[in-house]
Amino acid sequence: MPHVVTDNCRLCLFTDCVEHCPVQCFHADGERSYIDPDVCIDCGACIPACPVQAIHEVFEPDAERELLELNKERSRTLPTISVKRSPLPSAAARQAELGF
Amino acid sequence: MSVQSAETKTVRGACPQDCPDTCAFIYHVEDGKLVEVTGDPAHPMTRGGLCVKLKDFAEHHYNPDRLLYPMKRTGPKGSGKYERISWEEALSTIKSKWTDIIDQYGSQAIMPHAYLGNQGTANGLTAGDAFFNRLGSTVAEKTYCESGSSTAWVMTVGPTGGLDVESLAHAKYIIVWGMNMVSTNLHAWPFVLEAKNKGAKIVVIDPFKSRTAKQADWHIALKPGTDGALALGMMNVIIQERLVDYDYVEKYTLGYEELKVRAAEFPVERVAEITGIPAADIVKLAREYATTPPAAIREGVAVERSPGGGDAVRAITCLPALIGAWRHVGGGAVEMPIYEFPMSVAHVSRPDWIPPGTRVINELDLGAALTGKMKLDPPIKSVFVYNSNPVSQAPDAGELVRGLQREDLFTVCSELFLTDTAKYADILLPATMQAEQYDIMVTWGHLYIMLNQPAIPAPGECVANIDLFRKLAKTMGFNDAYWSLTDDEWLTLAYDWTSPALEGITLDILKKDGWKRLNVGMPDVRTPHAEGNFKTPSGKCEFASSMAANGNFVLDVWRSGYTEMQVGGYVDPVPNYIPPHEAIDSEPTKTVQFPLNLLSPKPHAFLNTQYGNEGPQMKRQGEQRIMINPADAASRSIANGAYVRVFNERGTFEAKADLTDDVGAGLIVTNVGHWPGLNRTGTAVNSTTAPRHANLGQAGVYSDNRVEVERI
Repeated sequence: MPHVVTDNCRLCLFTDCVEHCPVQCFHADGERSYIDPDVCIDCGACIPACPVQAIHEVFEPDAERELLELNKERSRTLPTISVKRSPLPSAAARQAELGF
Repeated sequence: MSVQSAETKTVRGACPQDCPDTCAFIYHVEDGKLVEVTGDPAHPMTRGGLCVKLKDFAEHHYNPDRLLYPMKRTGPKGSGKYERISWEEALSTIKSKWTDIIDQYGSQAIMPHAYLGNQGTANGLTAGDAFFNRLGSTVAEKTYCESGSSTAWVMTVGPTGGLDVESLAHAKYIIVWGMNMVSTNLHAWPFVLEAKNKGAKIVVIDPFKSRTAKQADWHIALKPGTDGALALGMMNVIIQERLVDYDYVEKYTLGYEELKVRAAEFPVERVAEITGIPAADIVKLAREYATTPPAAIREGVAVERSPGGGDAVRAITCLPALIGAWRHVGGGAVEMPIYEFPMSVAHVSRPDWIPPGTRVINELDLGAALTGKMKLDPPIKSVFVYNSNPVSQAPDAGELVRGLQREDLFTVCSELFLTDTAKYADILLPATMQAEQYDIMVTWGHLYIMLNQPAIPAPGECVANIDLFRKLAKTMGFNDAYWSLTDDEWLTLAYDWTSPALEGITLDILKKDGWKRLNVGMPDVRTPHAEGNFKTPSGKCEFASSMAANGNFVLDVWRSGYTEMQVGGYVDPVPNYIPPHEAIDSEPTKTVQFPLNLLSPKPHAFLNTQYGNEGPQMKRQGEQRIMINPADAASRSIANGAYVRVFNERGTFEAKADLTDDVGAGLIVTNVGHWPGLNRTGTAVNSTTAPRHANLGQAGVYSDNRVEVERI
């Protein structure tokens, strides 16, 4: 089922996920990343990589329509990211705030 | 007071599935329970990730529907009614039935049926070979997948591993020919992307727009079964425009003059007509391929699944030598690198035990063999199925079901679950899953030898295949020392540990480290054929194959090590284009009646039929669907999402229609692997496929299939 990046990524952008993705389906702006659902092959390799558990598999697409649309739309216009970057300056604080 | 803490451990393993990736596993066990299976981050192919099919693999071991005990049938065949019996009763029933059959009809009246439900050396394709050879049963020729390609490959370049998929990262032009890598060779895809990120052009040749084709720089959607014509057309351009590497051809190939004559028969206008690809594109493909070194071809098995598939693979495999691609790191072709592993067929399969003159029956012909459509003397009175689900996977499923329904057929099935095939068994025997067994895994996609070690005990009374056949050997009174070998002794004899490929590698080292790369050159320097050294009789790349004179054959590994009683038949010394039987307009009445060509590639979330009964995987895969072009749908009043009936004279199944431009007009695509019994009408795609063989290696012609579709 489609995988999505949630708002946990915002203010973090750890990008550990991108190097685990065998199909380079991640896109990112300066704030957070997104998964292109048309390229994602559901392998789930990214899920355990994220320090703030920002990725999950969507089993009920109707219940998460907005989040799916966001990931899809942003993937259309943003460049792919396949090499890990340094996290945002706010990442440590955001990680603590999220309880990880 | 004692402090309770979870006892955790990790164990190294490797994937059992029929997949070229053969991933390195880490089993995570807590208090004796398997809680997780992850990919080894240190393995250069696995890179810490598995795949969608292996999600929930730990939970799979605890599926409540697992067969845990021997069972005997209590209801009609196919009804799925069974009761538990002891192993003692199961084995004595088998002994009694087989003894009677052997007395009355001879041992050839018994036939095994096995494929790659497990891909281990001890528990996989060949697990029952030594036993059934010793019994004197019919030799079952196992050609579901790969046999056509491997015959073609061996005839052309010999039993070589060819290009390492990891070396694809160094290519500048990559043709993925007939493979949906993102679904079926996922772990090689990052190397393709690495090349792409460094400027390589990625071309995907596939009749429909697969997930992989969507990632290509250039998708070439040729008509099914016309790959041979395209390859010959490329040769025509390369030769005409003098893009040949004459030095390489002169030194390291055989039969260039003959190939030239053949290629001259395929000018681009003719090839455009055959393939549906514009002539200008064929020229462009040939020129780019020939002038963008290092140039690589990743050959997929799909090409073999048409009548001319064998010669198509030969033609494709000739291309690298024609342009000198083998000179470069990242250049050449890869099909199935299994040949680099020094496995001893003599030990694993014990072909020396096969009585002279034993007959061979091809597994894809099981239906006709059971119903009597194929005249057999003696008839088949018993079939023993393991590692296989023919009711789903063999062509012409209807014929097979008719055969399995015979009251006088004694059927035994070793299985994990009550599959559509298992429901016809008289006796069911429970098998272990991967975390419960010990084996060196066979791999056909990379160059690492992988050991799987058990992490949890076998549940119930499940046994590993190697133990199953030890039990059966004892039951039938076989006293050979072979049956008393321990697992380690057996595995030690299964490989030539003195071979250069295994230098520095031992079973003890594998127990510690889980896997090791063979000594066949690292991916950034490996060029096995830079100076020829092909493993053919001549030592050269054989455009004109010296083996053709001996006729059509299947490699020994697919037929229990048996080299006699090959099917034979004419093989053109130089590869030719052999048109599809059904897919092209060679049968006008059929074209009118069944105008759509149906392809049945592998599913994304199941591996063949494995996981097809797991709730989450069924959700991920979705129900049985067809991809249909909007024009074909409109003329049949089929709306998007509507249910349709797909049918021809062989059978029928129902599916949900997805209207999409990812398939051209005249072509529909559905996945194989959905359990027929879980589908609407209890049938799936192989009710419609033809029980014929391709021109080489007895491959099945799954892609050569015409149907009609109507809305329900």
